[in-house]
Amino acid sequence: MARITLKSEITGAVWKVTSAAGERLSAEDPLLILESMKMEIPVATPSAGTVRGLLVKEG
Amino acid sequence: MTWKPEVEELRKREELGRAMGGPEKIKRQHDGGKLTVRERVTALLDGGSFHEIGVLAGKAEYEASGELRAITPANFVLGRGTIDGRTVVIAGDDFTVRGGANDGAIKQKLLTSEQMAFGLRLPLVRLVDGTGGGGSVKNIEIEGHTLLPGYEGHLWAYVSENLETVPVVTLALGSTAGLGAARVVAAHYSVMVKETSQMFVAGPPVVARVGEKLEKNELGGSHIHTRNGAVDDEAETEVEAFQRVRRFLSYLPSSVYDLPPRGPAADDPRRRDDWLIGAVPRDRRQVYKMRPIVEALVDQGSFFEMGRQWGRSVITGLARLTGWPVAVLASDPYHYGGAWTADASDKVTRFVDLAQVFHLPVVHLVDIPGFLIGLEAEKAGTIRHGMRAAAAIFQTTVPWCSVIVRKAFGVAGMVHQNASRYCMRAAWPSGDWGSLPIEGGVEAAYRAELDAAPDRAARLTEISERLNLLRSPFRSAERFMPEEIIDPRDTRPMLCAFADLAAPLRTPGKSRFGVRP
Repeated sequence: MARITLKSEITGAVWKVTSAAGERLSAEDPLLILESMKMEIPVATPSAGTVRGLLVKEG
Repeated sequence: MTWKPEVEELRKREELGRAMGGPEKIKRQHDGGKLTVRERVTALLDGGSFHEIGVLAGKAEYEASGELRAITPANFVLGRGTIDGRTVVIAGDDFTVRGGANDGAIKQKLLTSEQMAFGLRLPLVRLVDGTGGGGSVKNIEIEGHTLLPGYEGHLWAYVSENLETVPVVTLALGSTAGLGAARVVAAHYSVMVKETSQMFVAGPPVVARVGEKLEKNELGGSHIHTRNGAVDDEAETEVEAFQRVRRFLSYLPSSVYDLPPRGPAADDPRRRDDWLIGAVPRDRRQVYKMRPIVEALVDQGSFFEMGRQWGRSVITGLARLTGWPVAVLASDPYHYGGAWTADASDKVTRFVDLAQVFHLPVVHLVDIPGFLIGLEAEKAGTIRHGMRAAAAIFQTTVPWCSVIVRKAFGVAGMVHQNASRYCMRAAWPSGDWGSLPIEGGVEAAYRAELDAAPDRAARLTEISERLNLLRSPFRSAERFMPEEIIDPRDTRPMLCAFADLAAPLRTPGKSRFGVRP
């Protein structure tokens, strides 16, 4: 199964992790939400897939 | 006795000129996934419209009898032709002859291409595929001397002058280095093709001498240059790149002495998309997608975005409103909430200059929380890049309409239009502005009071709540600050009215400043 590399386009803190390992996501579903310039900015998956694991934590 | 023998020789020579570098080199070009320069010209221009100039130029070999034995055509194809019925000058490097390098060309052809566009006031399309500079170091031996760069100034005078006179579009269609790379970026709009084109100051062999071992795409692929803003866009194929050129030119006049041509006005100017009333979330911390809003406001299918991969907190593109071409500048809250970074500021400068030079009215959809803040932003010199954008905006004289979709804060928010002249402006009910945001601003302005308070957090909340009550855009409207507040669904009708009002105000001629690459 292919891995997807997803690079955040912005610098920000991880504000909320909205997905969990094992979860099925459709394209455009957010994996987590960054906080930058006081805004909640979702980082979404470009294509559908299963979350293998999350390497980041909130904060 | 007629001149028939000479005309026959002319036809023979033309045929030799069109043979490019020969079947083997042409095959190599195709094997590399690239079209030949002549195939490119054919694909880009309207069928049968190419009128070539200088097909006879090249290096000839003669028999002792004086008869022509062979000719290597100059590796620069030049001429004029039409794109959607409008004449352009087209100039392309022929990579099949000496790798497109200048030592296979005749310098005058390159200079003539630039002069021709300038002199005929026609858009210039450069198809760059090679180095096209002083040539290889082999020239040193051939010529018996080295070359002082810049001893001839004409070419660059025209390259610069063209940027303030005619639309210049360039495509990087192979490895472009040195002067070739310079010709790619000295344009109003540039496109690279993924994988088959690269751009660098110097290519891998030269870079290896400074200790970097990189393959050409690693050093100068489109993923690098469309993210740093050196090149505007990337295309999957050459054909897609040509489509982008056609599209870009359709919004522009042939020169600054002309006006952007009106396209079909097929879409209803009174169209009101209902979803716009909920397009901006009520929660101030939540972001939304700006592109669908842009698409909903302009004539259906007319939005042509440029530079999507860089300076991403702003969206720039050309569009039509009841057929009138306009320049659309919009914030993208997904990138730093729409805050202007150094890059985004440069993108604004470049775009606003384009609009000013080619008489395109500007529509600005504003959601700017300010310049990006923090150490990283300071290190990038954001404020100076930002003030460059501000200067560009305040130098504009083209009609301008701002719609404050949500935020306008600080200096970046302040320069959403040229406040010294009449610009049309309206705010959505989601409008939220200030010189400083309340969040964070309170801590700065009420520091003494907060420090003295027994319960700091409670006092902070109390002050913030007090100020938030005054935050309604209607209170500012009482002071005529946004001149209007509109139902978001009425935005397209308003923008179409703006475009109609702006059309007769557009004034042909040179702007008092040009565009710099």
